[in-house]
Amino acid sequence: MGRRVAFVAHCLLNQNAKVIGGALCPGVYSPLVERLRAAGWELEQMPCPELAFTGLNRFWAVREQYDTRAYREHCRTIARAVAGAVAIRTAAGDEVVVVGLEGSPSMGVRITSSDPERAGRPEWPDGAGELTPGRGILVEELLDELRERGVATPRAIGIGHQLPDHDPDSEREELDVFLAGP
Amino acid sequence: MTTDQRSRRVAVVEHRLVNPPAGGLDALAELERRGWGVVALPPAGYPAAVARPLLAQVATHVEEFVRHGYVVIVVGRHPGLRPALARLGVPDPEAIAPRTSAELGAFLDVRGQR
Repeated sequence: MGRRVAFVAHCLLNQNAKVIGGALCPGVYSPLVERLRAAGWELEQMPCPELAFTGLNRFWAVREQYDTRAYREHCRTIARAVAGAVAIRTAAGDEVVVVGLEGSPSMGVRITSSDPERAGRPEWPDGAGELTPGRGILVEELLDELRERGVATPRAIGIGHQLPDHDPDSEREELDVFLAGP
Repeated sequence: MTTDQRSRRVAVVEHRLVNPPAGGLDALAELERRGWGVVALPPAGYPAAVARPLLAQVATHVEEFVRHGYVVIVVGRHPGLRPALARLGVPDPEAIAPRTSAELGAFLDVRGQR
């Protein structure tokens, strides 16, 4: 029987990669790591596309601001790297899942952030309604890359710890169900 | 918005120290307890063609953290890490190949105070 391998969004092991103002803990996001380890999942970490592209001093941004040809190509480069690892794992008979970050313009799995009008001086009201159903750009590119390689699409879930209505208890329950299998 | 809680301390960590076998040194737990962020290296068993692009991304991350004055260390080894850093002109971070949690903890205590 193969191993169980979770490819997690970079910031879930390293909050130092977050946009300034977004780090919810000093380093490792413990609630996720504890659940994954308790259920016997091996951890691999995906690169942070935003850190490498716009750096540590980047502004908070929505999906439309990142959705350029250059950023898509950057994400596809990362997606190729991750897909190479996923392909090896699946070929070895391992079970693979992807753990993204809900609300992220790059790493969202079910929820991303969107505002077609956002531009210019980075000021907007708190609580602006930018959260919307959809995937982040890297997650899209990764799933496309895997499909083009003929690699089975891994199950995916997103951690919502940065969402305004985040409920740690319900997320833990949902995560446990997800990790238990389809 | 919550107050940003980042530690500005980052450890680049060997895969088997993030995912230790039973009874093995659990560097991830030690780093987590002490507030370090983790950049996980790919497994040593990956072919070079798979590991190299992943290590290239690790190197870009390290470069950005170093550029901003974050403390960056390496815990464990990967033969492809040094060449990946060298390609970007990033000096080798301080490194440790710990045998025990206590040895790692002592190393982290000193580096974490910088």
